[in-house]
Amino acid sequence: MTARLAWRNIWRNPTRSLVVMVAIMLGIYAAMFMSGFATGMARSYVNNAIRTMVGHIQVHVPAYQEEARSAYFLPSPADLAAFAKKQEGLAGYSLRTQVTGMAASSHGNRGVQIRGVDPQQEGSVTDLDDLVADGDFFGETRRNQILIGRKMAENLKVDLRSKVVLTFQDLSGTITAGAFRVTGIFESGNTGFDEGIVLVRQSDLNRLLLPADSILPDSLSMPDSRVIAHEMTLLLDDPGQLDTIQEAFQAAFPGLLVENYKELAPDLRLYESQIQNISIIYLAIILLALVFGIINTMLMAVLERIKELGMLMAVGMNKGKVFSMIVLETLFLTLIGAPIGILLGHLTITYFGRVGIDLSAFSTAMQEYGLSEQLFLELEPVVYYQIPIGVLITAVLAALYPAWKAIRLRPVVAIHKI
Amino acid sequence: MAVITTRGITKTYNPDTIPVHALNGVDLDIEKGEFTAIVGPSGSGKTTLLNIIGGLDRPSEGKVIVGGQPIEELSENKLIDFRKDHIGFVFQAYNLIPVLTALENVEFVMLLQKRPAAERRERAMELLRAVGLEDKVNKRPSELSGGQQQRVAVARALAPKPTFILADEPTANLDSTSTAQLLDIMAELNHRESVTFLFSTHDQRVIDRARRIVTLVDGRIDEDVQQSQPATS
Ligand SMILES: Nc1ncnc2c1ncn2[C@@H]1O[C@H](COP(=O)(O)OP(=O)(O)OP(=O)(O)O)[C@@H](O)[C@H]1O
Ligand SMILES: [Mg+2]
Repeated sequence: MTARLAWRNIWRNPTRSLVVMVAIMLGIYAAMFMSGFATGMARSYVNNAIRTMVGHIQVHVPAYQEEARSAYFLPSPADLAAFAKKQEGLAGYSLRTQVTGMAASSHGNRGVQIRGVDPQQEGSVTDLDDLVADGDFFGETRRNQILIGRKMAENLKVDLRSKVVLTFQDLSGTITAGAFRVTGIFESGNTGFDEGIVLVRQSDLNRLLLPADSILPDSLSMPDSRVIAHEMTLLLDDPGQLDTIQEAFQAAFPGLLVENYKELAPDLRLYESQIQNISIIYLAIILLALVFGIINTMLMAVLERIKELGMLMAVGMNKGKVFSMIVLETLFLTLIGAPIGILLGHLTITYFGRVGIDLSAFSTAMQEYGLSEQLFLELEPVVYYQIPIGVLITAVLAALYPAWKAIRLRPVVAIHKI
Repeated sequence: MAVITTRGITKTYNPDTIPVHALNGVDLDIEKGEFTAIVGPSGSGKTTLLNIIGGLDRPSEGKVIVGGQPIEELSENKLIDFRKDHIGFVFQAYNLIPVLTALENVEFVMLLQKRPAAERRERAMELLRAVGLEDKVNKRPSELSGGQQQRVAVARALAPKPTFILADEPTANLDSTSTAQLLDIMAELNHRESVTFLFSTHDQRVIDRARRIVTLVDGRIDEDVQQSQPATS
């Protein structure tokens, strides 16, 4: 009975009720869209970093992480590679040689990190092979090819087929230089990466670092098969297996430092942890605004019905029932709009989670932050619990004050306000 | 035993600022089956007295005993339940719940009493027939005339079989035809169900129909007469 009364009461002023319902619907929709957007951005940033740079897990000698000197190479890359091949759940691994040096063209020079890779391995770990905008990803068999970022190409004023000279210290401490030809220009979507890193074949870099008949200083011992690699980067099939695989590698190579991307790039850890908070904050702000709108509407609905409420209490409807009637009215008002908003929000997120939103209009700014042009909306599953709970709390909070107002009316006073 | 007994009722509004002595010691006994009018000039305290008897307001002093129950002993919420089971109200206006149909309005208090659905429906239909509105059962109050609304209100007041019915100027907003109709119905139901009616009025035609007339002046009973030959329409 109370429910039937409450239900009919909210339709006494259909316009007003619909306005509240639509406001709630839009509020929830907006909260979901905004958190979907923010989550998608954060995820895009994290994934971009994983897919272009850090991978999921990296292995180094401990000293290399203190100071990235070329002398701190992995003692037995072949063992690591063999172990990685056996390990389940790996999408790929890449052994990288990394040297800090200088890239020079006829127009100038820039400090760079030179990354020597096996193209096939690297392609299985990073997306760089897909991000080559001009040229290709080590498609030719010639020696001394170099891939550079678009930004670096602009800085050095070079193009495909231009010559770039790399200068750095070899393992014996001698300054060495090599002439490379640009065969690919990549656009990673991350400006820092594009202007700071160049890619060459590992064999080419190794030849310069450790010339064929050179002897190493006494402090260094020759790595097996004379392959110099400073870093092994792993990409997992399932990020959920991060800990397991990290532990497996650490157990197998106790002398090496095995770190996951959160340890390697604390900003990524921060981003990931913020994803959880973003949606709660958006939701809280919007629901807080809605609370006041709902309270206002319900107070109006109570105050314009003072005489009727007085009459109900006069003829025997007790305070508990009057209270629940007002609470139910508020709940109906709130809970009708919510599912529609959630449904619309869900559909939008699913759609743009698949198709993506084209943000190329803002891409310059986006790339500075390591975001890609295509943004895929995404919501943490937990949000789908948070929203209904949040809305319910909102509705109850908004209901209490008007309901309390209603039962404080004294019938005689109420009835005589004619 | 009297259905309603009041002893030494006084009521002072605004005792702390400008006191208004609305009632100054009212002793009244209403027996079962009475059809009594409370009359008196405007401001004489009719509404105040009915509100106090109905438990809608508390007296400043004095006792109200309804069906043997001293109502000052009841808490606010107990009083609501007491009214539900013992007192039917017909106000001057705003009697009905606008979102319910005539039938649902008449059933409303019985529903609060948790009477079985079939009994409710039967009783409501019987009363709506008695007030001549059997063809309007599914109309909402806004679709009924003022007189029809008051007849629904009388049916609603009678439905839960209260000990008595209080009506404060029930005909104040009605034309003379509707007034006569409503009075006929009240008198008929008073007779048929032997429900006690206590109503206030200014209207001479209504006064003429009462069997007992209590006149209030300045919050005191000035005159209390039995009318041996009440008018019939
Ligand atoms: N809530 C109130 N606050 C202050 N004074 C009041 C209040 N209600 C009634 N009064 C005063 O109490 C006195 C009695 O009022 P009451 O309404 O009982 O008279 P009444 O006989 O019903 O008059 P009417 O015939 O005009 O309805 C009047 O002087 C009135 O002004
Ligand atoms: Mg009055």
